[in-house]
Amino acid sequence: MSSAESLILAVPSKGRLMEQTIETFAAAGLNVRKVGNARGYRGEVEGVPNVDVAFISASEIARYLKTGRAHIGITGEDLVREQMTDWETRVSMLKPLGFGHADVVVAVPDCWIDVRMMADLDEISGAFRVRHGRWFRVATKYINLTRRFLSSRGLTDFRIIESLGATEGTPAAGTADFIVDITSTGATLKANGLKILDDGLILKSEANLIASRMAKWTPRVREAENIILQRLGV
Amino acid sequence: MVAETAKKFEALEAQAAKIMSVFIKAGHEAVAPAIIQPASVFLDVIGETLRARTYVFIDPDGEELCLRPDLTVPTCRLHMERHLEAKTRAKYCYNGSAFRFQPAGAPVAHPREFRQAGIESFGGTERAKAEAQTVVTILDGLKAAGLKDFKLHIGDLGLFRALLEAADMPLRWRRRLMHQFWRPDAFRTELKRLTTLAFDVPRDVPTELLAKLDPERPDDAEKQVAAYLDTRGVELFGTRSLSEITESLLSIVADSKTQPLSADTASLLESYIRVVAPARAAGARLRDLLRGGNIDISEAFDAYQKRLQLLADAGVDVAHADFEAEFGRTLEYYTGFVFEVVVPSLGRQSPVAGGGRYDTLMRQCGSPEDVPAVGGAIHTERLLAALTGDA
Repeated sequence: MSSAESLILAVPSKGRLMEQTIETFAAAGLNVRKVGNARGYRGEVEGVPNVDVAFISASEIARYLKTGRAHIGITGEDLVREQMTDWETRVSMLKPLGFGHADVVVAVPDCWIDVRMMADLDEISGAFRVRHGRWFRVATKYINLTRRFLSSRGLTDFRIIESLGATEGTPAAGTADFIVDITSTGATLKANGLKILDDGLILKSEANLIASRMAKWTPRVREAENIILQRLGV
Repeated sequence: MVAETAKKFEALEAQAAKIMSVFIKAGHEAVAPAIIQPASVFLDVIGETLRARTYVFIDPDGEELCLRPDLTVPTCRLHMERHLEAKTRAKYCYNGSAFRFQPAGAPVAHPREFRQAGIESFGGTERAKAEAQTVVTILDGLKAAGLKDFKLHIGDLGLFRALLEAADMPLRWRRRLMHQFWRPDAFRTELKRLTTLAFDVPRDVPTELLAKLDPERPDDAEKQVAAYLDTRGVELFGTRSLSEITESLLSIVADSKTQPLSADTASLLESYIRVVAPARAAGARLRDLLRGGNIDISEAFDAYQKRLQLLADAGVDVAHADFEAEFGRTLEYYTGFVFEVVVPSLGRQSPVAGGGRYDTLMRQCGSPEDVPAVGGAIHTERLLAALTGDA
């Protein structure tokens, strides 16, 4: 898809994240456009040589940056932290972009009026185990973020249930007791009768411009990067 | 340390054969439990901390499986498949691999793939006897392989539990302290909280609801909570029932009405946890701690002494064994006696053998009731390294 001497720029392939990325780049005088047919997955930045744009999903972008298949990419900090336990050695976050805001939070059913803080969860976990014969189940797609956060808050006795969609419905369905999920306005959680714990904010995430430390950085690639970063004011 | 050459593998197997013949002679049936196990058994029983150390994967049918991180749970499952009644008496032994993730830079004595030769005894109701036999058989196995220089470390979670049971405090406090026992920092914090009654955690409950709840009348309390939720349009759903939520609220009310834990009891618990002494002297230390107080744990204490006597009678050098009250704190499925065998060349962090009592594990694996169970295993690669001077 590219020559070895080109900078691979990974851009979200759909939705608001794609639109806002393209708007942000355009505002900096960088016109990102698709090449070939309109549904294609490749593109270029007008007037900047040696750049290949790859339109891929946001979570795929994190993987590309992790392994060095892309030099620079735009994706959520949540995905970077979730997919790379050693993210600081693999990527550098160049700039928060001011869109794609989302909080990763711990949420429990509203009717758990005895629970407001993480410490309360730990408090009731013993009694829960005695009654149910098992530890709490937490549904999430953020397995690593969840495990690290709960452990750091002293909650070690729980089971993570991987959920790939509709996480907010799992407590009502009985497949999980509470959840860790992403929220921007809190409306979805509210509609599902869930409340965020007072100290249950795991991460305030937004879209970031991210460079991979694992990619091959030749002088020509560096040069292309400099042009882009300069325009974006990094 | 994983045997990657055929020669080392043969040496390991030759050593294991000697150990297994000791186990079989002691009445243990040799079994080979499955290497691939359902992940849920381990994760539900031991908790998420184990997942970080277990190789978990999804098979093509979407089933969550794992490579066994030990052989004790697989042997329990094998036993339950064979016997409708989990409490049926049985003695098993095994020699096989277990798998645990190790972070980069872990010492060589902690490989991610290692072999264990071990024994399990289920359903034995004479607990002290079964425990002593387990230690003796493991030590016989080590000796048969040629090990001479080693030290026995013992602990007894039963003593701590008995101490908690005997100390004057509400049941829910006991449960909390037992729950936190595995985490030294959290345990200390909880103890302090109970002695000062500083329950400063903000709660989502208005005081007017709490004021209406009477711990003596749980049925009425449930109605009050239901009415409270109802008037606020909060739907009751999820895995926790109204009675569970009410019980938790009642414990908040009860805590506010209870006398704090006495400083004497708190300091007794703390002093006990700090006990490290030769196995025989530990008994006397414990008696000193309890002198003058009104705490009676003679049953657990007698069990400790009886076990020690049985070990001595069987020729175990208990004079040189060490007791540590805290020992067992990091191994959450043990419920009573615990032991480890340590050699000088590998040190305390890499015991060549270990084991203990785990009476609740069978129930956690699906049995309707607790089953007395005690077992132990030899880390055969460490043993070989210790014997050949590779350690």
